[in-house]
Formats: sequence, structure tokens, C-alpha cells
Amino acid sequence: MTDVPSAEFNIRDYLRTELFPHFMCPGCGHGIALRALLWALHELGISKDNLAVVSGIGCSGRVGAYIDANTFHTTHGRPLAFATGLKLARPDLKVVVLTGDGDCLAIGGNHLIHACRRNLNITCLLLNNEVYGMTGGQVSPTTTEARYTTTTPSGNHEPAFDACKLAEAAGAGFVGREMTLQTPALKNLVKEGMSHNGFAFIEVLSDCTEIYGRKNDLGESPEMILAQKAEFRSKDYGMERDEVFQPRSLATGVLSRNDHEEYTAAYRKHVLSKASS
Amino acid sequence: MAVASAKPAPRAVARPQNVLIVGVGGQGVIMVSKVLASLCQLQGYDVKQSQVHGMAKRGGTVFSHVRYGERVYSPTIPEGEADVLVALEWAEGMRWLPYLEQKNGTVFVDTQQIVPPFACRNRHRGAVGGYVRETVADIMAHVPNSFALDALGIATALGVPKASNSVLLGAMSTALEFPPDDWKEIIERFVPPKTVQANLKCFDSGRDWALSFDRDGLLEKHAESAPLTVETPREKPDDLSHIDIEANWCKGCDICVRFCPERCLVMNDQQIAEVAYPERCTGCRICEWLCPDFAITVKTPGAVA
Amino acid sequence: MAVPGLRHHREDARGRGLNDTGIQNIQGNHACAVAAVAAGCRFFAGYPITPSSEIAERISVELPKAGGTFVQMEDEIASMAAVIGASAGGIKAMTATSGPGFSLKQENLGYAAGAEIPCVIVDVMRGGPSTGMPTRPAQGDFMQSRWGTHGDHACIVLAPWSVKEIYEQTVRAFNLSETLRVPVIVLYDEVIGHLVETLDPGSVDTGEITTRKWAGGDPAQYRPYACGEDDIPPMARPGDGYRSHTTGLTHAENGFPSQDPTTVDRVARRVLGKLARHNDLVEQVDCYDLDGAQVLIATCGITARAAKSALRLLQDKGIAAGLFRPVTLWPFPEESYREAARGKQQILVPEMNAGQLIYEIQRLTPPGVPVAGFNRLDGEPITPRQIAERVEELLNHD
Repeated sequence: MTDVPSAEFNIRDYLRTELFPHFMCPGCGHGIALRALLWALHELGISKDNLAVVSGIGCSGRVGAYIDANTFHTTHGRPLAFATGLKLARPDLKVVVLTGDGDCLAIGGNHLIHACRRNLNITCLLLNNEVYGMTGGQVSPTTTEARYTTTTPSGNHEPAFDACKLAEAAGAGFVGREMTLQTPALKNLVKEGMSHNGFAFIEVLSDCTEIYGRKNDLGESPEMILAQKAEFRSKDYGMERDEVFQPRSLATGVLSRNDHEEYTAAYRKHVLSKASS
Repeated sequence: MAVASAKPAPRAVARPQNVLIVGVGGQGVIMVSKVLASLCQLQGYDVKQSQVHGMAKRGGTVFSHVRYGERVYSPTIPEGEADVLVALEWAEGMRWLPYLEQKNGTVFVDTQQIVPPFACRNRHRGAVGGYVRETVADIMAHVPNSFALDALGIATALGVPKASNSVLLGAMSTALEFPPDDWKEIIERFVPPKTVQANLKCFDSGRDWALSFDRDGLLEKHAESAPLTVETPREKPDDLSHIDIEANWCKGCDICVRFCPERCLVMNDQQIAEVAYPERCTGCRICEWLCPDFAITVKTPGAVA
Repeated sequence: MAVPGLRHHREDARGRGLNDTGIQNIQGNHACAVAAVAAGCRFFAGYPITPSSEIAERISVELPKAGGTFVQMEDEIASMAAVIGASAGGIKAMTATSGPGFSLKQENLGYAAGAEIPCVIVDVMRGGPSTGMPTRPAQGDFMQSRWGTHGDHACIVLAPWSVKEIYEQTVRAFNLSETLRVPVIVLYDEVIGHLVETLDPGSVDTGEITTRKWAGGDPAQYRPYACGEDDIPPMARPGDGYRSHTTGLTHAENGFPSQDPTTVDRVARRVLGKLARHNDLVEQVDCYDLDGAQVLIATCGITARAAKSALRLLQDKGIAAGLFRPVTLWPFPEESYREAARGKQQILVPEMNAGQLIYEIQRLTPPGVPVAGFNRLDGEPITPRQIAERVEELLNHD
């Protein structure tokens, strides 16, 4: 492959530097998530030429364009469906989907559950910032209850999704969650997910400082990142003990795995081998 | 209401008055234009206000057209026909100058400089060429009725930096026909109750500033002002860790400054991260990992991946 | 419309390919599936919907034999997205649906048009709106096929009228889509879709199978939407080292989003103008008895077959009538129509909807020449007798 990156991770080897500075707001967690992804790619030795990044619409959707790879910025909610076609057509490509909480869980919810069920070898990074940032800060399926958004002027009255439980129940081969604060841990989780032969769903707890943070008085970027530390617990921590005190805490780390057959392998075995011309 | 009772009969103007208010997201362009539009409406004029909020994101370009007169049809101001141009940010002011009526138009521009992400496009590493190069002297030489004011400075001096918009409103009020008391009444309605006094104080300061505008003095003061410059990181001996900051990529989120365990970094007066104490750096890379803008690279001697 | 060939249907489904068995009776939808594979299609994503489901059923048998992939997606939107994804991956891809599903596909169809990703969509028309009459034919999607998605966009719509032509036009759809980087819609109604006709492979004229132009040269110099004289940019295949960006946002030649007015205008005009530029490839019409005709009947699909019979009925009564049939429905063959309409005293547009094609015909007919419609909305095909009677009625009124 061409453009073999240097042994030491230099993020600029993986970025379209001519597009920088990127368009995200100051302190947006998506940038940190992108770093973790690129770092994981580097450590896995995945070639940029062989990498396809598919994203949808929203802030998360625009992140993909900064990666120096084959990047596809598709329609709202559809990156998983698009990636399904791409991966089936080109099993040789490493396919990563970048999506957001609105993109993946609201308009694209149907595609998510079926992508989990099919268990195609795709890695899906859900950049969860609890809000529709691009359109100005409307409520999303993962907005914490009682938080303010531009469409919940008296506080969000809808319960939030636990995206990882949803993915696990729908049959995803690998499910994990990590916060941007723990960048190396996030990188390792992405590595583990990408190495899994099947659908890997990774929820990245990102943050929207400028719109969501401001609206809810959550402080500046440093405060919002630190708040992650208070709100989330590693799965190994034994969180059941302090659930009483931390009703919002979500587990991070590898949350579930299964050994369901990968889709293309199943297709080869059950369909292609039986087809006689 | 007081304003209504004092309302003059709408002046028969030959054509609508055009006020163009520009800035970047988060500055309050829309607030300023709402104040003006409401004032015009209460004065009995037909008002049209049309605006674009960039991408609903901070830092993007935002503009608002306010047109008022006996009867206004089109909501937008054609190029070269703005009677008053109010810019809350320096580069935006420069960018919209062609919209100003060339002979008699008045421009109020805040000298505050905010480098928007898009203005940095296509800039090579280390270069600072993307931002406008015009200086205060340039614009004053070019546009006869130009007022370049440091609204943020004036408001900060009054102890309320967040009310710099009211300073601009005060300055702008000198170019329009409405009496100051009517302006103040509207401002009271638009700002949070706790900040009314502060905003009115700022309005007065802005108005006084414009009325006692000292063109020559200002020209002299700004004679040596240069476009935004960014310091390049200092050189360090090779045996220490080295923090390299791409100033053009930094958006000033403060994460690196706050998370550095050794307190190596500071925000400079341009809200850009800078290495203040390079000798303290241990090469832990937390600043690099958490920088959402990819602006920081930490080089450690003899590092292995 | 009864399907008399259920036996053949079953045999076909067992996989007796068109070329292996020679002359055979085959259903329109099956011919479409077989033709797609012959045209090089190696990916199909779909969702079951009457009356197009037979295409998915048949191609689920044919594609694995050719080493291709069939996937039934979770919905119509997803199948359109998957088709575009597969095509972006570099292989020929297709989906098939009917009105309700076609409505859902419009979102991503616009993406394919904007990002210029080749794909073929088959719409087997049924009664509408909404769920309408799933098992009854209609021609209500003439306008949706052209103007269904939002914004100005380029697309081609082909309207076959027989099983043989479904085969030919499906192959042609792939060729056009690949050559011109444009979504191509194969549009026919339930009657033809479920019609079983004898198809002689020897009589099928598909011409050469074409494939899109691939990017070549130095990847560092590659700009995904820069093109030469033909206005069709060469496409980069992921994995070949070009690492380009594809977006549904308005983009510059380098593939990245742009809102620069000059760039936006230039790119939009190239994309919208490329079909006119290659009109020799795109346009196809089929005309009968135009010389000396007093009346011109303009229609397509199954209604054109009824009209062709009507020409004979009218001839018997001493009325000279001709038929104009756009095989390429969109972009509408304007010049050919103007030519066909020259000197005619009456135009009749029969269609199985409340009047859609008639708008285009009215627009292109010289002033003073009356244009009348004949519309059936009852889920039954228009008969030759009805068309002939309508013509007589129109002439007697004069």
C-alpha cells in the first residue's frame, strides 16, 4: 500500500490538513473522538487507501471529511444502510461509520437495529453529545431528562435511550462505551471493536460545549469533560454498589460481545456456495 | 406607553433607510438588529428585518438587514445602498464594506478581532494570512464617515464586558434620527432585568464616544496597529519535551490549559493556547490527546510509539 | 390482469436463464431481473412491495450464481442507500419498487443525482396515492419519476412497453447510468410487469455493455468532479489510492463542500446539462404511421400498446392516426415530439392517471392544435376501442 505512515503516530498523516482548522466549535468532543479513531487505525496498521468512512448528517457527519481516506458524507440517518451496501460490495474495505445521537438513534434508528442484527463487519462510532448541535441545539433521543434544549424550553420530559443496551439486544457482535476524557482507553476500545469480526457498536460520550453546555449551564469545555468522569463508571468498577448515589451513571468499557456469525461469512456459506450456475 | 406617546409622525423619506448589522455567531448581531427594528416599528415606520445565522454555530458569519421607511418592500439591502453599517467584528466589517453607500454611508466597526474557523481556510502551517489585513488607519482614510471603536474595551472599562453591544448601539444611535431616550427604553426591554443599568451606561458611553469622536487622535493611536499576529512557539533545547502549538488551528477552548498537570500552558490575549513554561513539561501528552482541534503536538526526546 | 404463466414463473424461479434455454415465456419482472444480471449488475438491495416483488425474488436466485450479492434491507430508504453504497464501492447496483416505496427512495435518489453515483431503480407502477391499489396498474408516477426528489437534479427515466423491451431497457439503464453517472429509472406499470410474453434471445438487441470511466493517473492530482470535454468525471474506486470525499452537499470539483456562488453555479450547470449534451445516447422514441396522419396519439407503456391497436381500428374507419411513444420518457424527447406533431390537427394523450404526460405534450404542441386527454383512474388498462372512440368523438366535435 502507498503512504505507509511512520511508526510513530503522527495524526497529520491521517488528516486532510488543507481543510484545517476544522469547522467544529471550540471544545467540541468530536475532535477528541476523531483522534482516538485515527490513533486506533494507526495501531492496527489499517491503510488509508483501504479505509472507507461513512457518515450521516449533523456535526458527527462532518467529522469524516477530515480523514484522509475514502470518505462518504451521506444522507441523514442513512450511513449504516449506505455502509451495508458498500461493505457487501467491497468486503475487502475496512468500513467505519461515524454517526451521531440524532442520526443513529432517531432518524436512523431502524437502520441501527438491523445493522446490529445482520452483524456485518462494520465499526460504528456513535458520537453522542445529547443534542442536535448543527441545527441549533434541539432535543435528541439521548438528551438527559430535565435538560434544556431549544425545543424543550421547560426541560426535557422524554426518557433518554441507552444506545448500548439497544445495540446489544439487537444482536451487535461487539458493544462498548467510552468517554472522550479517557482518550487512550477510547482508542483501545475502538481497536478492540475494529478487531472484532462482526458489527462493532461503540458509543463515544462526546460533549457539545457551545450549545448544550451553555444552555444548561454545564460550564466550559474543561468542566464538561470533567463531568464525564463523575457521571460514568468503568464496567469493572462494580457500579451496582453506587447506583443509589449515581442514578445517571452509565457503564463504560466493553459492555457485551457475542460470537454470532459475521454476515458476509454467513452469506458465503449459506447462499453463494449453494448457488449453481 | 411612553415611547408611543412621544411618537413623531413618520418622516416622509425619499427611500427606506438601510442599516446593515454584521458580526460572527455569538456576538449578538441579532439582538442589536432586534433593538433597532423594534425602535423603528414603535416610531411608526414600516420595518423589514432579514437575517442569516451562519450555520447556527458560533464563529460563523451572521448578518442582519434592517430597512425602515414609510413603506418598505424588499427585505434585503442591495450592494452599495446601506446608509449605516454596524460591524461587531473587524473582518466582518471589512467584508461588508461594499454594501455601504459610498458617499454618505456611515460605518461603525468594532476593532475586536475574532478569527473564525473558515477564515483560516487554506492557510499553511505557521502562516497568518487568512485574516483581513486592513488597519484602522486604512479604513478611516477610505470611508469618510467611519468610526472604529473598541467597544469591548469601553465596556470592560465600565466593568461589563458582556454589554459591548450596547456601546455599539450608543455609537450607532448618533447616525440615526431617533432620540436617545427612545433607544434606552427599547434596550431595557431586550436585556435581562439585572443588566439594565449596565447596558444603559454602556449605551451612554458609546454615544458620548461617537459624539466626541476624535478622528485625528484615533488615527495617531492606530497608526502602528497591525493585523492579528500570532506568536510562534519558542525554541527549546532538544533534550526536553517540546509542545508544538499550531496557533491557526487553536480555537481557545481552554481544555489544554486546564488539564495540564504541570500548568505549562496559558491562553494568550488572542484566546490562543501558548506554552508559558516549557521547562515544566513532562511529555505526558494529555494536552495533545484532549485537544479537539488537533493543534497540539508533544515531542518527547527519543520517544517510541 | 391474470397471470397465465404461473407454471413458467416457477420454472424461471428455478433458474433457467434466458440464454441457456433459448426462446421462453417469461414475465416482465423476471425479464428485468435477468437483464440486470446480464448488464453486469452484481448487487441488489430491495424491500418487498407489490407489484415489483418478483424482481427481487428472481434476482435473489440469479445474483449468487453470478457471484453477486442480494440483500433484503429493513426498508425502502435503506435499500436505496445500500444500492448507492455498493455503487460507490465500484459495482453495478440496482433496486426495484413500486409507488409507495419509490416515494421513500426519493431522498437518496437525490443523493445519487447530486453526488453522481450510478444506480438503477425500477418502479413498477400501481394505483395511488398512498397504498392505493397494490395489485392494479396505473401510470401515476410519470411526474414523480422526474420530479420526485427535491431540488434541481438530472435523472433518466425509461418506459418500456413489452417484456422484450423491459429486458432491453434494463440493460440500457445500466449502460446509461454507468456512462453518464446518473440515476436511471426503469418505469413500467403493473400490467407489463406481470405480463408473460415469449422472448427470443436472438431478437433482443442490447448492444454493448458499458461500464463507468475509472479514474487514472496520479492520485495526488485527482479531483473527483473535474472532467474533460464530455462533462462526465471519471470515478475513483475505493482502494485504488484516490481517497476522495463524496458528499450530498453542494461541492466543488475537489469533492469538498462549497457555497461559493461561482463554483456552485458551474457545477450545477454541468450536472444538469450533461444529459442534453449526450442526448444522442439518452433519447429514444418509437413512432408509427406519422406520415399523413391527421391525429397524433402520444403515450407510453401499456397504454401505447392499446394506442397502437387503436391505429388499426381508426384506419378501418378511414381516420389516419399516428403514434408517438417516448421510450426515454425523461428527459422528454422534445425535438422528436415537435417533429412528430408537425401538421397534425388533433393530439390525444391517453394515460392511466388524471393527466400528467399531457402537461408536457401541451407545452410542446404548437398553439392552435387541440390537445385532449383520455384518463382512466379505475385500475383498469385503457383499451384500444376506448382510444379509437375518443378520437372519433374529438373529430366529430369539430
